[in-house]
Amino acid sequence: MSFMQPSPVKYACSCGILNPINKLFFCRHCPKLRCGFCVCHEIESHFCSNCLENIPSSEARHKKNCCANCFDCPCCQHTLSARATTVPVVRKTEESKDGESATEATPSPKPSAMPTTKKMYYLSCLSCRWTTRDVGIPDQGVATGTWPDKECLYQVRFNTLMEYYQSLVLQEKQEKQEFLRRKTPKQHKFPSLTDRTGLTVSLIRRQIGWSDKNIPKTKPINIAAAEATAEVEALPEDIFTQPINLRNITTVAQRHSQPAEQPEAVSKLYPQRRSLWIKRSLRCRQCEHNLIKPEYHPTSIKYRIQLFASYHVPEVLMVRCEQPLQPGQANAIFLKFTNPTMYDMTISVLDVAPQDAQISPDTFQQACRIKEEAVTSSPLLKTTGITLARQNSIREVKRDVRELTNATIVPLEGPFVLNQRDDSKEFDEDVQAPTEEPKFIVWRKANKVLIRLEFTPAAELQSGNTVTLGFYMQYTYVNTVSNTPDKKEPTTHALYSRIFIEAGDIANAIAN
Amino acid sequence: MPVENNVKILPKSVVCEESTLRGDITFSAGCVVHPSATIIAEAGPIIIGENCIVEEYATIAHRLADGASYDTNNILSIGSHNVFEVGCTVEAARIGDKNVFESKSFVGRGVTVSSGCVIGAGIQMRTAQLMPENTIVYGQQALQREAIEKQGSQTLQIDFLRKVLPNYHHLRKPNYDPKKARSVI
Repeated sequence: MSFMQPSPVKYACSCGILNPINKLFFCRHCPKLRCGFCVCHEIESHFCSNCLENIPSSEARHKKNCCANCFDCPCCQHTLSARATTVPVVRKTEESKDGESATEATPSPKPSAMPTTKKMYYLSCLSCRWTTRDVGIPDQGVATGTWPDKECLYQVRFNTLMEYYQSLVLQEKQEKQEFLRRKTPKQHKFPSLTDRTGLTVSLIRRQIGWSDKNIPKTKPINIAAAEATAEVEALPEDIFTQPINLRNITTVAQRHSQPAEQPEAVSKLYPQRRSLWIKRSLRCRQCEHNLIKPEYHPTSIKYRIQLFASYHVPEVLMVRCEQPLQPGQANAIFLKFTNPTMYDMTISVLDVAPQDAQISPDTFQQACRIKEEAVTSSPLLKTTGITLARQNSIREVKRDVRELTNATIVPLEGPFVLNQRDDSKEFDEDVQAPTEEPKFIVWRKANKVLIRLEFTPAAELQSGNTVTLGFYMQYTYVNTVSNTPDKKEPTTHALYSRIFIEAGDIANAIAN
Repeated sequence: MPVENNVKILPKSVVCEESTLRGDITFSAGCVVHPSATIIAEAGPIIIGENCIVEEYATIAHRLADGASYDTNNILSIGSHNVFEVGCTVEAARIGDKNVFESKSFVGRGVTVSSGCVIGAGIQMRTAQLMPENTIVYGQQALQREAIEKQGSQTLQIDFLRKVLPNYHHLRKPNYDPKKARSVI
């Protein structure tokens, strides 16, 4: 229904941002809605999107997040492909013949009846037909690799700067350690006064005849600061007289794709190594469980863990409004609820937050003694030294959803049951036992229910204003995560989420 | 008044019978015309040079200007080694050698295509202009650039098509032999 266009139904994430359901995740352990903003993004693996090669993170960093084999076209940023040509190879005997054609050369033992050919490769763009020959890069004998890297003009400067800052980091780290060592005396088995001063160690060292223990302090090498100059080269003489040939001048996109050089002339465009892509895993910030974990292999598009909200939270679809929207006039909206889970749900639509429904997250977390596998810290985290404990300190900031409704709803009289999802039911004969249904239920089939919700847009709305109505959807959620070994039975929670629906614009006032 | 069909096919050309040919059209030696390609010579004769490939659903048209009528001297000459890829529409005023019209491209009237040009896939060229040699038009914004060398001729592709097309399609027979014609004179 809302294919390729923004959904009018938005769910409020637990962090307070509104999102359509397909952009939300559901943490089964918290249990709460999460969005891309309030989860921890981690890099699962690096890979090249062209050759689909998996590249370890350390190698990726070493290669500056570029693929070793694949290149992008500097002209149109598409991927370059290697093309083969056969080049006749001139024999050495023939060469000498050519060189001294005047003098009588010894007849070659083999007549050059069989010309030998060699396969040579060049890179070519299939979109804009740019080739490495255009800029005079010689053809290579091997299809991949061996392509020369364009040495950056400021490479030496970059290297010294990098060395400097690395040693600076090292120095700061050492100083910090020193400071900590002084501040917190070692907790010895037998504390003594001398420990506090560190006197004994230096005394003993001196008695033995060693020099005082001093970690050689790394001194950062001196770097020359960059100097700004006011002198700028004058424009060439002919700039105002000669017509510019735009075909020889690079576009802004082309310059940006080559940031080290930023060439002005087309003849200075060089193939650029293709940037790597990443696979992300998402982690809940509160309980540190994975919400999304992709399969490791780059060719796979599947997930090992996927907790999308649309698998757990009932989906609300806006079908239509009963009448054209008028300010202050009672109206009704048809909403379709779909149950994606394998358990029946009891849903109630409320206009105020249910008080007792939401279990407090702390008690819940205590209740479920998570026997989950030890939280796997990805190799990247280890190398960068970010510990999970530190991550945990980034607590999400609770925000209240901005009050943006401008319509009042009439809450439904009572809750209704949304049947479980059963794929086989689709093929069954539609024999619905006539059951006593609440008045607001318009239609029911399998795991879907269409309800009629009455609402009134605010009276002060002008024509053209968008009517947004919001409500609390309380639903029962059956948690199938087996928390403790002794308690196998799934537990049922009553959860709620706030839902905002853009019902449409106020219609033009009817002329009386 | 509909123009009488007068299709001259020189030897070594492969012209499929299912192609739509209207008017006075001359195929030089070695041309390959796929089935359901369309060539319309409305305003005057069309002469296609050697070793051109006209793929499926390609349309080459020599359209009548408003109020004009068929003129035998108004010749649309197409050079050699041109490739008209699937679904392109070419109504250019003159076409040189070694051009490539990629899939679904459109070249309107008044465009003069010189040699070695590439009109990228889906590019629409509607204003009257002269395309300098080795121009390449590509991308969504129809950027232009200049190639260093002309596009290589597609000899392998032509040889392959010449071998394969007769196996699955009825061909128009070559009906014009320059040698014989000379001997007659």
